[in-house]
Amino acid sequence: MSPTVAVPGPQFFSLRADVRAASWFAALGEPLTEGDHSDAAAYATALGFNALEIGQARDWPDAERLLKAPDWAPAWWDREETLRQQLLTEAKGRYPERALWSSLTELTTEAGEVVHGKAATAAARMGNAAPASIHVAAGAASQAVYHLALARLTKQTASPFESKFRLFAAGRWPLGVLESRLVLF
Amino acid sequence: MSDSIVVKTVEELKDAPEEYQAAVSKLVISHAINELYGAQVFDEPAIAYAPTPYAKWLTCRVAMEEYGHHVRFKQLGTQMGIAEDRMLPGAGKKPLSIFEFPLKNWEEFVAIKLLADLAEILQVEDLLHCTFHPLRNLARATMPEERFHAQFGEDFSAELVKTPDGKARLQAAVNEYYPYLPSFFGGSKSKNNEIFRKWKIKQRTNDEMREDYVRRATEVAAKYGLTLPEIRQAA
Repeated sequence: MSPTVAVPGPQFFSLRADVRAASWFAALGEPLTEGDHSDAAAYATALGFNALEIGQARDWPDAERLLKAPDWAPAWWDREETLRQQLLTEAKGRYPERALWSSLTELTTEAGEVVHGKAATAAARMGNAAPASIHVAAGAASQAVYHLALARLTKQTASPFESKFRLFAAGRWPLGVLESRLVLF
Repeated sequence: MSDSIVVKTVEELKDAPEEYQAAVSKLVISHAINELYGAQVFDEPAIAYAPTPYAKWLTCRVAMEEYGHHVRFKQLGTQMGIAEDRMLPGAGKKPLSIFEFPLKNWEEFVAIKLLADLAEILQVEDLLHCTFHPLRNLARATMPEERFHAQFGEDFSAELVKTPDGKARLQAAVNEYYPYLPSFFGGSKSKNNEIFRKWKIKQRTNDEMREDYVRRATEVAAKYGLTLPEIRQAA
């Protein structure tokens, strides 16, 4: 087993810069671009879903309806969760556990405040969002930052967490896989 | 009770009486540890139990905010010169008894948000006029998030009680967890509380807070047709 080393500061520095530079929720409801399609396809393929259609939520109520559907299929969530656990185990083998935990907690706390504000701005601009949905959006985006941190710390350059982050960075919110569609907002 | 002092900055704290410094440190350590326990034992595991992506991401946000509260209290503690180890679980301080029971289902989490976060709100409310202003300001920053977490408990309670089965499961969770909550407020003759009030770091006695909590918890439970079981005696 290789000896553990301190959590690399430069990696977190670049991650923080990416978080600050991202256009969080700026493109919600806008027509999808070629880049969005390409990142969405990369994300779905890396998660093990092939030939998914790319769908779109029109507005906040539409997104809320999709996210609250009681018959949602949890496969995509479960695949992300399995991957998260694998990466976390690997990261724990590379870095001292407390330093890793503190770095991730501080990063997601800082990112959480940024994305919460951006989600609130997007909701105010578009209108008709339930107040709790701003927290939901911030939860999804903070989780994406946490996932990205794990992928970068374990040097997984082709991780679905990289392409998911790119979707968020481009102002989108990937809402998940519903039937045979990956739905973006 | 005493001549009150006001401490506006962490730097000024160094000139405050030792008893005042020790009291403020105890509170910061206690909040840092309990926020972290709450996030680790309840909020993070609850993500897996949440029934939809909407509830899962909402729970993610709540968990991150609870971790964030720990981070904020720890940052303040670090500025005050408290060693990081003392603000983490396992530092010799026994956790609150409620944290010894791992979360088993979604209804338990909803009950905890409904009732345990109300207890947290009362604790933070009592710091809103604290004479140590960095702690007062931290309490003010934390309060809107704590209120949102309690609202989360109300919103999902409202969902669960729509069906007889959901209501029964939520009532069972309330019956299991509520008895531990009034003891959050400490003993009736707490020496610590006496010191906190002497220096106006906190405002109310433990018994006053407990009484207020029981009244507010009874009201909020009744809103959703729930009843509260008999409480255990405070430690």
